[in-house]
Amino acid sequence: MTDLATPTYATMRRAVSEAAPGVTKFNPLSRIIAHDDFNSGLHGWVQLSGNYDAAGNLDTMEPQMSDFRPPQISSCNFYDVGTHGAVSGTYAMKLATRPVKGHTATAIRRLTMPVRGKVQLEAYFTYKSEARALDPKNAPPKEWDGNYHPSEDLFGAFTLGSDMDDGTRYHVVARYMNTTMDNVPDRRWYAPTVVEPTGKERFDGKVNYSKLDDFTAPNPDDWKPFSEPQDLCYNEVPTKINWHYLRWQFDTETRTNVELQVNDITYDTTHVDVPLYTEKYRSLNGLLNFYFSVRTHADVRNFLYIDSALISIDW
Amino acid sequence: MTTVNESLTVLIERNAEFDAEFVTEPYEVAWAREARWFVVLDEAPEAFDFRLDTEISPDGLDWCPLEGVSTHVADQRVTSWAVRDFGGWLRVRGAVTGTGQAKGSVFLVLKA
Repeated sequence: MTDLATPTYATMRRAVSEAAPGVTKFNPLSRIIAHDDFNSGLHGWVQLSGNYDAAGNLDTMEPQMSDFRPPQISSCNFYDVGTHGAVSGTYAMKLATRPVKGHTATAIRRLTMPVRGKVQLEAYFTYKSEARALDPKNAPPKEWDGNYHPSEDLFGAFTLGSDMDDGTRYHVVARYMNTTMDNVPDRRWYAPTVVEPTGKERFDGKVNYSKLDDFTAPNPDDWKPFSEPQDLCYNEVPTKINWHYLRWQFDTETRTNVELQVNDITYDTTHVDVPLYTEKYRSLNGLLNFYFSVRTHADVRNFLYIDSALISIDW
Repeated sequence: MTTVNESLTVLIERNAEFDAEFVTEPYEVAWAREARWFVVLDEAPEAFDFRLDTEISPDGLDWCPLEGVSTHVADQRVTSWAVRDFGGWLRVRGAVTGTGQAKGSVFLVLKA
């Protein structure tokens, strides 16, 4: 039934916002902070990088944070079809790993919290392992059978991450584990049960991880699934890209997960614990970072494509 | 509303030790009209020779030299060369000969 009441400023603003080109395919909270379609640059998404010493010596960087690769403005270009293009126009943001098992590519967007409350990251994404990447050292988990293509199981995992500090620092994280480290299909969503290692811990000699360790939570036992397997649309071969809708929400007032929607499945994540740092940080007040990362579980480049990303806040 | 041309600076290799022969990771540049490479080494080469060739690709898989661009010799701590008409992908093929450590970063500066 049509509401004939005089619209308020808030309802008008929301209506105009939601009808804006590019925004109608999203379901934002009341105020849109960022809308990135990657047809006009990377919009502040940049390679995540570790800390370094006062002299600027990059040798002092944590090894597992030292090689996340620069994101690319990709036309989704493939050997068999040329330019595939993205959802909105020609370009998407692409994260690409090296062809080295365990390597991670990560792009981060750095904001602060104007208010506390619900925060939401939405995106259209797709994921691929590199075409024609098979050689004897990358034995396919299963052979091509006309439909199934082994490249699907040479894609490792992609992760949605954040970094917040309101006096207490914490990360809210969700990872789609396409396969185990042995390229066996998993397809579940996971969250880490521990906080991310920090440069201070390494500086104090408590930890020292290697370049290929999982920077979010290095010990595989510290990841717990919070969903049943969810099959996505890899579309068989490594050069057909189908875009998936993703909506990921958490609450910075309560420091809790809220929900994760991927296409027609919405997971209630309120029960998924958010590990908190016990040590206090300076110069992070109000920190609100988002990251996407992709990790390969084989000696094959893995790619995560994003077009578009939208960040909104209940404000 | 006026707009400015897009630009993007990335570190294709960062704080890396360069082997005798190497190629950098594929990088998509179809949106850019011009590019400039920078090689920033920790120290100027003295006892080694560091040469870099620009390569292009239709798909990020198969590569060939970019025609008309001569081999770049990184003979000082910071050196640079510019390229145009490179299509959709760029990388460099490098070779280090001699003694000493070639360590530093390779920047790619792109403009639409």
